[in-house]
Amino acid sequence: MDPFRVLEALVLLTVLIGLLGLLLRRNLLLKVLAMDVMGTGVISLFVLIAARSGLRTPILSTDTPAAVGDGAWADPIPQAVILTGIVIGFSVQALLLVATTRLARLDPRLDTARLDRLTLGPDAPT
Amino acid sequence: MIAAAIAWLLVPFLAAFITALAPHQGRPLTLLTSAATVAMAAAISAGWVPESLPLLGPLGVVLQPDALAAPFLLVNGLVVAAVVLDGADPGGDPTGGPSPEPPKGRLPLLALVLLGALNSAVVAVDLISIYVALELVGVAVMLLLALGNDERDLWLALRYGLLSNTVMLLFLIGAGLVYLQQGTFALGAAPLAGGVPLALLVGALVSKGELFLAGLWLPRTNAQAPLAVSALLSGAVVSAGVAPLLRLAALTPPLVPVLQGLGVLCAGLGVVFALAETDLRRLLAWSTLSQMGLVVLWPATGALLALAHGLAKAALFLSARGVPSPDLRAWRQRPLAAATAVPLLLASGSIAGVPPLLGFAAKGALEKGALGPLEPWVALVGVGTVAVYARLWGAPVLGLGTPKEGEADPTAGMGSWSLGALLLAAALLLLNLCPWVRPAWDALANDGLGWPLLKTGATVAAGVGLERWLETRRRPWGLPSLEGLDDLLAALVLLAAALVLGLSR
Repeated sequence: MDPFRVLEALVLLTVLIGLLGLLLRRNLLLKVLAMDVMGTGVISLFVLIAARSGLRTPILSTDTPAAVGDGAWADPIPQAVILTGIVIGFSVQALLLVATTRLARLDPRLDTARLDRLTLGPDAPT
Repeated sequence: MIAAAIAWLLVPFLAAFITALAPHQGRPLTLLTSAATVAMAAAISAGWVPESLPLLGPLGVVLQPDALAAPFLLVNGLVVAAVVLDGADPGGDPTGGPSPEPPKGRLPLLALVLLGALNSAVVAVDLISIYVALELVGVAVMLLLALGNDERDLWLALRYGLLSNTVMLLFLIGAGLVYLQQGTFALGAAPLAGGVPLALLVGALVSKGELFLAGLWLPRTNAQAPLAVSALLSGAVVSAGVAPLLRLAALTPPLVPVLQGLGVLCAGLGVVFALAETDLRRLLAWSTLSQMGLVVLWPATGALLALAHGLAKAALFLSARGVPSPDLRAWRQRPLAAATAVPLLLASGSIAGVPPLLGFAAKGALEKGALGPLEPWVALVGVGTVAVYARLWGAPVLGLGTPKEGEADPTAGMGSWSLGALLLAAALLLLNLCPWVRPAWDALANDGLGWPLLKTGATVAAGVGLERWLETRRRPWGLPSLEGLDDLLAALVLLAAALVLGLSR
């Protein structure tokens, strides 16, 4: 079996596990962490796509001439793209966690259904 | 030209940096930046900007400031300008919660970041630029929602952030799969990549455009968020998802029927829930949902409809500040100040499709499009929309005789003229003269204006009649509430799964 397909299936399984955690967990912190699991899966997918053409890190340097090592280069484009994705994911994650710590004052158990009820405004429909 | 376009894209972010350092410059800088956005839209329609500006050819990194982008840019610029003109909600706002006034400069700062991100999302045609722009829109909206800094606002912000980031992860998977198959991130390669990547991309864009099940978070968020933020959300933020979606639909013929089905369902759902609603702000949010459904029906007319809807909805939210109470049950007993009623009536008339407002031309263009079997449904939605807004038309108006210059009108004492809402309402009238709207009017006039006018008259009469009949029924009707976080997540996943099944055939 093609190892690329196996790894791809595993990566997509990681995403699916994250998605299930996001759906099934009632605790807000666990939901946020499950979303991070999904994010990790997506990052691995891009790394995997980059590694399809080869495994050598695509960095040219004067110390090690290109002739050293005969492996094929990895595709730099998905790597560059996912670097942006990692930074964005990290900052959104940080922002969500800060909001979660503030919300822990409202409900220390961080139960999402309870938070939904507690934060209904006075003008909300009953 | 490329340098100028990139500079134009960067200006909002530069202005945001300056605002962070010198908060008092925020308002003038935002107005200038909005003016630059509107100027860009005008330049595009005048044909001064090439339709396509390649930055990095083989990877598909291209800017497309084309005819589809122009209406969206216009709505972004005008809505952000109007919101910043009116400023943040004053503390103790009677229609909202007791949100304290945010520190000076925060609203313009975030509005600038939002404007920059929206503009990028509208002109970008590669998946990664769209991804970055949409993520930035998400972060800016999250921070805007949290401006009030109490726990209720934070919860709304967190819900939005969680949902938005989840759908963007799905988008990224779609983008990765497209690259895997096609070796490029160009939007044009997405239709060739097969069903699953396309479904993931469409699902994310549909969610960002607040369509159907993915838009269910909107009513509660709009009911509790500051009105300025609601105006930005319903007016401008929806365009970020819809613009790339319309581009994608124009490139992918098989996608059009799927979006039409989704759009009609979404429009119907929004109208039914809006009719059952008893709160003004929730009614407006449900109506956003329904109008977005109409926007995606036909790629060619979507931009014009989004323009008309965005301007009108932002004007409605901004003028809702002067409304004594958002409760709709005793609406006809409570008089409105003229300063509130004029923009409110103009904007709601436009969404309901009353001539000569922009909404009439946009609806006319939509009905001209080849709707085929959808036509009766669209007509029904039109009647429902009139019925929704007819609920706002019955209130007596105070001080109609006061001159428009009287900005601090002492006689009413219930609200002064809102510059932002007036700007938007004026745009609804004046934009009829601009070059994107003229073809719509010309097409209507070619077959004689009598038939569309008669049709609109019948629609309005039917809508008002429907509203009068419903008025005798007891509201609320006990429609299910699907607005908890878990409901929203489940709705997103269902929608994505349905799209994967629908598009992978």
